[in-house]
Amino acid sequence: MKFLEHEAKLVFADNGIPVPHGVLIRSADELAGHLDTLPFEFVLKAQVDVGGRGKAGGILMADKKNGVATARDLFGTTIKGVPVREILAEERLEILHEYFASIAVDRSTKEALILFTEEGGVDIETLARERPSAIRRASVSLLMTEIPPFMLRDLIGKAPKEAGKILQSLYTVFRRKDAVLAEINPLVTTPSGIFAADAKLIVDDNALKRQGISQNRDLTEREREAEKHGFSYVELIGNIGVIGNGAGLTMATLDLIDFFDGKAANFLDVGGGADQERVKHAVQLVAGVPSVRVIIVNLLGGITRCDEVARGIIDAGISQEVIVRLAGTNEEEGKCLLMEKGYRMLDSMEQAVRAAVEAVR
Amino acid sequence: MIYADKSAGIIVTGATGRQGAFHIALMNEYARNIGGTGVVAGVTPGKGGQEICGVPVYNSIRDAIAECDAEVSVIFVPAGAAGDSVMESASAGLSLAVTITEHIPVHDTMKAIAYAKLHDCAVIGPNCPGLLSPGEIKLGIMPAHLFSRGNIGVISRSGTLTYEIVDELTKAGLGQSTVVGIGGDPVIGQTFSDVLRRFEEDDQTKAVILIGEVGGALEEEGARSTDLPIAAYIAGISAPPEKRMGHAGAIIEGGEGDARSKIERLRKMEVPVASRPSEIPGIIRKLL
Repeated sequence: MKFLEHEAKLVFADNGIPVPHGVLIRSADELAGHLDTLPFEFVLKAQVDVGGRGKAGGILMADKKNGVATARDLFGTTIKGVPVREILAEERLEILHEYFASIAVDRSTKEALILFTEEGGVDIETLARERPSAIRRASVSLLMTEIPPFMLRDLIGKAPKEAGKILQSLYTVFRRKDAVLAEINPLVTTPSGIFAADAKLIVDDNALKRQGISQNRDLTEREREAEKHGFSYVELIGNIGVIGNGAGLTMATLDLIDFFDGKAANFLDVGGGADQERVKHAVQLVAGVPSVRVIIVNLLGGITRCDEVARGIIDAGISQEVIVRLAGTNEEEGKCLLMEKGYRMLDSMEQAVRAAVEAVR
Repeated sequence: MIYADKSAGIIVTGATGRQGAFHIALMNEYARNIGGTGVVAGVTPGKGGQEICGVPVYNSIRDAIAECDAEVSVIFVPAGAAGDSVMESASAGLSLAVTITEHIPVHDTMKAIAYAKLHDCAVIGPNCPGLLSPGEIKLGIMPAHLFSRGNIGVISRSGTLTYEIVDELTKAGLGQSTVVGIGGDPVIGQTFSDVLRRFEEDDQTKAVILIGEVGGALEEEGARSTDLPIAAYIAGISAPPEKRMGHAGAIIEGGEGDARSKIERLRKMEVPVASRPSEIPGIIRKLL
C-alpha cells in the first residue's frame, strides 16, 4: 500500500530524516489558522497518489497574501482524475543541489537494492537509460541490520556525509515498515541543511496487519469486497466475466479471451480450496457488474472440489449465462449436477473460452 | 528426478492445520503407491506427541530428526511464522524446504532465503504448489492423477496453470521428469536458472518448459543460463499495466516485465513461446 507524501514524511522524520516544516490541511480555511507557523513563501502540495503530480498542477507556489485563495483553487481541482482532499503546506526550500536516494526489494538478488545519484532533479528513469553509470547501486542482505560504512561511502561519492546518514535512516525505515520501496526524490541541500523534499513509501501488502494497517486504501470498493471473501479481483473493461482458481490459470483464461478477440470484464481468482459459499459469492460478485453478459468459470481442482463448485454456481441463481470448465476432485459428480440444471460444461478451457466469446457476439 | 528421490524422508511443518493434515495423507498415499518413504514426521510447536494420519507429530524439526530419517521439509505454516519454519529447516540441516504458504511478508521471505543459503538449504517457493517427480516423489499439493512419467521438465510460477499444462502434456503422451512450482511471489528461493541447473545434471530430462508470468525478468535470466532445449509460455499478455493480477508476482513494474516484451526477449534468444497452452505439446515435440 502506498503512503501519501505527508504520511511518509512523518515516518521519515520519526526515524531521523530531516523533512521540511509543513502542515496538513483539509480545507483552505484551515490554512488561515496555520499561516503564523509558515514562512512568507511556501508551497502547497496536493496529497494525491499519482505520478507526475507537479507537472499535472498538483504543486503550487504560494505566500501569506495569496495562500488561502491558492489553496481554495487547488482544493477545487482533480489531479489526473483524483480529487484533492488534503494539501501539505510546506516551507519553500532554497535548493542548492538535488540528489536521489532509493531502497527497494530486488527480485533478482533477493536483497535490498540501494540506489543513489548525485545528479538528482532529473527524471530518474531517463538518467538510468541514458547514463546508467551516474546511478550508484549497492545490494544489502536483509540479514544485515545496517548498511556497512564502506557501502555508504561508495554510494554517496562526493555528496555531503549527511547523505550517508540519511541513507542509513532510510534503510531503517525500509526494514521497520516492511517496505517494498522507500525513496527520497529529491534529497536536497539548502543553506540551512539537507532535507527530504519529497517522500515515497510503499508497504508490502502482506505485512499490513503487523504494521497496524487495517484497510488497504489502494483497492476499489468492489476489490475490497472481493478481498473480504479471500478473492483477488481486478476490474477490466469488457463483457465476459471471468472466475478462475489460481492467478496463472485465471490470467491465461483472460489471455485466451483476448486471443479469440473477446473482452474480459474482470479477473477473479477464487484461490485454493474454493467451497460452495465462496464460489456462490464469486459468481454473484461478477454477475453484479453491469457490463457482464456471460460468465466463464474455469476451475482446475487441485484441492478444489468440483461438486462444491457446481453447487455454488447453482446456488448463485444469476440471470446471465454461465459457461463452466471443471476438472479435478469429484469431477463427475460436479458435471452431473450442472448438466441437470442445464449449464454448459466444456472439457477444455479453450472450448469454454470460444463458447463465451461466441455467446456475446 | 531432481532435488529428492523416493528414498527421501519428508517432514511436514504446520502438520496439525487443515491443509497440512490433508496433504500429509495425499503425499503418503502417493509414496505408498510407488514404494517411496513419504512423510515420516509432522511438526507443530506445542502439539508434540500427537499423531496425524498415522504420522508422529513433534514440537520441533530438531526433535523430529532425532527420531526420524528426513532430508526435506514441506511447509504449511501460516504466513506470519512460515519464514521461521524455513530457517528452522535450514538450521536443522535439511537440504530442501518446500514452502507452500502464501501471503508471507516479503521481508520474511528475503531473510529466510538468505539464512537458508548460509546453511546450504534450497528453498522452493513460497506461494507455490511444490514439486512432483512422477514415480519418485511428491512434495506439496499437486494433483498427482494428472501426471505421467517421462522426460519433460516443467518449471512454473503458477499453481493451477501448471496442472493445466501438465494435463495437456500427459494427454499428448508427453510424460514429465520433474514438475517444479517455483512460486508466484516477487521474491522466491529457487528461480528458473537454479532449477534449470539441476535439470542439466539430470539424465532423464530432455527438454524443459518454462511457465512464466508478467513481472520481473527471471524467465529471460533462466533462458540465458541454459543449453537445454527449452520452450516457454508466459501468462498475462492481456494484463493491464500496474494492476495486480491475483498475487504479488503478477504485477508489471513501470513497464518492466510485461508479457509482450518478455515474450519478445525470449524469442530473440530463439526460445519458442506458445501463444496458448494447447500449443505447448506441439512445440515440445519439435524440440525432442
